[in-house]
Amino acid sequence: MSQPIIEARDLGIRFVRNRRRQLRLREMIIHRGGRQPRGDEFWPLRHVTYDVQPGEAIGVIGRNGTGKSTMLRLIAGVLIPDEGSIKVRGAVAPLLELSAGFSNDLTGRENVHLVGSLHGLTPNELKRKFSEIIAFAGDQVEKAIDTPVRHYSSGMKVRLGFSIISQLAHPILLVDEVLAVGDAEFRKKCYATMERLLAEGRTLVLVSHNEGDLTRFCKRGLYFDGGLLKIDGTVTEALGAYNAGARR
Amino acid sequence: MTSSVVAVWSHRNALRLLVRRDLAVKYQQSVLGYLWSLIEPLAMGLIYWFVFGVLYNTGHHLGAAKDSYPLFLITGIFAWMWTNSAISEATSALTGQARLITTMKVPREVFPIGRVIGRFAEYVAGLPILVILAIIFGEFKLRWSMLALPLAILIQAALLVGVSLLLSSLNVLLRDVERFMRLLTRVLFYATPIIYPLALVQNSSMPGWVKWLYDLNPLVGIFQLHHAVWYPAEFDLRLTIIAAVGSLVSLLIGWWVFRNLEPAVLKEL
Repeated sequence: MSQPIIEARDLGIRFVRNRRRQLRLREMIIHRGGRQPRGDEFWPLRHVTYDVQPGEAIGVIGRNGTGKSTMLRLIAGVLIPDEGSIKVRGAVAPLLELSAGFSNDLTGRENVHLVGSLHGLTPNELKRKFSEIIAFAGDQVEKAIDTPVRHYSSGMKVRLGFSIISQLAHPILLVDEVLAVGDAEFRKKCYATMERLLAEGRTLVLVSHNEGDLTRFCKRGLYFDGGLLKIDGTVTEALGAYNAGARR
Repeated sequence: MTSSVVAVWSHRNALRLLVRRDLAVKYQQSVLGYLWSLIEPLAMGLIYWFVFGVLYNTGHHLGAAKDSYPLFLITGIFAWMWTNSAISEATSALTGQARLITTMKVPREVFPIGRVIGRFAEYVAGLPILVILAIIFGEFKLRWSMLALPLAILIQAALLVGVSLLLSSLNVLLRDVERFMRLLTRVLFYATPIIYPLALVQNSSMPGWVKWLYDLNPLVGIFQLHHAVWYPAEFDLRLTIIAAVGSLVSLLIGWWVFRNLEPAVLKEL
């Protein structure tokens, strides 16, 4: 088998509830990590180990607040683990938030350029793909492309965000629960795009509560509960555990 | 540390975009737009010229700059505007752009560094005015002392990058930093030879240890360099060395703190 494209080893991250900022500051600078756990700390994720092979599509399943989004952020590299390690071999195209990182003060066009370039599109690629991005996002966005994103509906932002992400050539695609916002017509477009990207051999990590979406794209499922990876198996197994947990 | 320097360098395109975006957002809704970056320091210069030049006649302490106090003043104030606005905007560089930072894998250092560069661009935009003033006051002479300007900019940039890395990351965990810095920059303004010549401090009756403490402020050496561009007598090797060493130390400390606070900062954003 080839080298895994994502490799998580005993991954853990610690958050602090109601933290007394002033008190913690000195400790953070002097000794990071390696301290005894304290009462107000909690681990949204801990002891998580798994591999993802290139071209796999993985569904991440779990109730709210069980560390799914944290997992995606760790893969995207916008959080740094406190324990263990995560290796990602390849660039990541993340759609982590509804707003997709847009600045409200800028117009849609300016945001496409800013966010696109920050994701690694060169000016030339942007020029070539710009009309495609806008067309994919739909007429509504196309008409509003020169007004500030502040005036966009959340659906419009997701459309534009997804269009940018889908134009990236990055091998890993992270999608967090955002498809639910789009209307039926846009969802259909997203499905087609995601199927095309998967057929190209991209790797997909999808967080969703929608069984249909999960079984449609993913063969493998990771079920998280209480910050621990409980099931790493087929998507049906993971969904089974999730549903069993929900009935309890 | 080297790896993060390399990472920032390889994302210089992102850096350029962020700077351009900052400038675009800053000026898009004002009629005078970019001119504001000149009007503000010029107006400040006018005020200080009136108070200290006309009323207090600071000019006669200036020696070589006796007849060109406005040039002396504006030289310092332009450089000060860069310092002041870079520090205050860099402090909120991470807290203000949390949305971008939590969705994008870009080396986080680019956000505060981008603010320093953006304000530097405004400083550069003001340089022609300095040159015009220097010509009017007859101090514009091609000579070696002009090299003090690139040296001053280099040292100042190192200092500002270090300070902004330090403050931007601290401010995420400790929002008091922003308020505290507003106070501190005000103190620094008067603790730096901007509106008065350094000689006034050196010839004052303050005890030696106060003068020694005063000299430790790296901004003192930097601003003496700025002034030395027109008034070569203001050049002081000892102060320049203190400024260079101080700026380098601040750069190293800033980078180190930033690196160490980064995991906590990302969780807090």
